[in-house]
Amino acid sequence: MRIVTWLLVLAGLALAVFGVVTALGQAGSGAQPWSEELSDNFVFVKVLPFVLGFGVAAGLLMARTYGPKVRSDGAIRRWSPGTVFGHAILTIGFILALPTGIWQYLGGILDVELPIPIYLIYRVHYIGAAIVLFAVAAFMSYLWMTGDRSLLISRGQWSRHLLGLAYELPPRIRAPYARLLRVDLSQPRPPTGQFTFYEKVVEFPSWSVLLALITITGLVKAVRYLVPVPGLVLFVASTLHVAAMVGIVVKLLDHLRYTFPRWPLVRSIATTWVNQRYAQLRHPGWLQAAAGGSAARHGGERSGSAATGVVGGSDS
Amino acid sequence: MRALAAVLGLVWSLVNLVIAYFFVTSAFVAKTAAKEGILAQLSLLVGGVLIAGFAILLARECVRMFRPADASSTA
Repeated sequence: MRIVTWLLVLAGLALAVFGVVTALGQAGSGAQPWSEELSDNFVFVKVLPFVLGFGVAAGLLMARTYGPKVRSDGAIRRWSPGTVFGHAILTIGFILALPTGIWQYLGGILDVELPIPIYLIYRVHYIGAAIVLFAVAAFMSYLWMTGDRSLLISRGQWSRHLLGLAYELPPRIRAPYARLLRVDLSQPRPPTGQFTFYEKVVEFPSWSVLLALITITGLVKAVRYLVPVPGLVLFVASTLHVAAMVGIVVKLLDHLRYTFPRWPLVRSIATTWVNQRYAQLRHPGWLQAAAGGSAARHGGERSGSAATGVVGGSDS
Repeated sequence: MRALAAVLGLVWSLVNLVIAYFFVTSAFVAKTAAKEGILAQLSLLVGGVLIAGFAILLARECVRMFRPADASSTA
């Protein structure tokens, strides 16, 4: 099975390279009448199916790394190596696509031009967008293969999560928040699990919505020279693309603001691990669930939960 | 590594404050009103204020990171 996955990834890579080389060959043949900017747009649209296909194949390989583990020193795996890889790729994509996207928008608003041609800005934006789309396709495939829903709030758990979030908020906004969402603060604070309540209620949903929005609207904008797109649809897509860009700028600031003071979490998105002491201190529910799963297993019950695996796993 | 991240975070905050400045000032320029309309002006204003607000919050956290062992646990 592992060999099949690797073969699929290699085939995806070979096809992606073939697609990029062919599209670039056509663009550079001198036979196309398009401007540099339009030519880049066509290259981008032509390579997209190959990039997405390669992303799906890469997601299959990422899924092979999924599974809770514990190290001999007690450190617990918070993110799979596949997730760490996808997060890094997504970051690179944003580093390229976000500043160039902001410049396209602000340059137009301010009516100023950089000393470099605008098509180069677009070219970097397309490269960044292709990397983001690769990562999105990889994550979709990864989540589909692993069935991992640990960042989603399951049915009937919303009130518990809103209560948990209330206790994670600064005290001065806790009471207004609780009044607004009718959260009963007389209830005890629920223990934080593998992910904080803020990550599950705010971070993951907002990133998902923004990524979906910028991806769909970006695709509509990108294919407009190949497929007839009604003017109103293009206007709405362009407006929402800018709105999603601003949302991502804000969310990125919030993401860094939230994770930087929780430095072990920053380390974990590079190393996959969180040390035992930090998990005990900040994520007691994670360890409780792990202990519960372990007890259930020792009692002869089968359990397929991730938490069970935390205790039962190994770093092999 | 922590200090490097804090410095990069501060730089990123400053860049975003500049972007926020352009967003907010562009919202009040006559050219934007004529070219883009009131909705775009409003979006620039709201976007600029939000970016500035979160940039300041990030800058504050980055400054805190230079201090030893902060035990903050709030969102």
